[in-house]
Amino acid sequence: MFGAFRMTNPLSGGLLWKIPWRLSKFQKARQRKRLKAVDSVIATLDTALAKKGETLKALELWKAEMPTEAEMLPKDKYTIFDRKAKRYRKGIHKVPKWTRVSQRLNPPGY
Amino acid sequence: MSWFRITLHRSAIGLPKRTRGVLMALGLRRRNQTVFHPVEAQFAGMILKVKELVLVDEVAAPLTPAEVKAERTPDAGFYVETRGPAPASQVALLATPVVSGFGRLPPRAAGSIGDFASEVAKATGRKVRL
Repeated sequence: MFGAFRMTNPLSGGLLWKIPWRLSKFQKARQRKRLKAVDSVIATLDTALAKKGETLKALELWKAEMPTEAEMLPKDKYTIFDRKAKRYRKGIHKVPKWTRVSQRLNPPGY
Repeated sequence: MSWFRITLHRSAIGLPKRTRGVLMALGLRRRNQTVFHPVEAQFAGMILKVKELVLVDEVAAPLTPAEVKAERTPDAGFYVETRGPAPASQVALLATPVVSGFGRLPPRAAGSIGDFASEVAKATGRKVRL
């Protein structure tokens, strides 16, 4: 009745996972922190290379295309476009390995 | 010349082989490991591939692994005093036996411990074992 083999709906067979629909405020705070960490890595690379007078195509592309954490809309920070989802958005925590991949851009208009 | 100080912050478990390969190429095998690479476009590109997993700083000079370890080792909270060469008089005093209740006794010739014990026993009227 208790412990690892308790008879709850998710555990008694069937595909019933209780993944919350939206992120908690703590998850959102950590997500912002991770976005900022990536921004700081980009900034470090940029300043270090600029001092040496070198450029990197991939870095220039990233800077031109990707918004920083401050520039992103909350909608884009915590949700992602999904053509199958209702209103075309699902929580970013549904993305596999979502804490270790960059996902900043979404189709315009969605 | 400046260097990138790269620390693996997030593990690459379950990430694509290409990503793990980049970490291997950077010399990052375990979490919290720190490596140093010169500031070059080549290394910047490699860092860019794993930007979500690493923490990067620009430093003037690379540290040795021992220095990196010393950096994150906390203070022991104590220190061991080393015993320097003691003066001759102290050495002689330290060589004398200590009897509880009597304190340190004057120096005696080696091999006379038994005589000394019987002497003490006579003086105090108690059994003495040294």
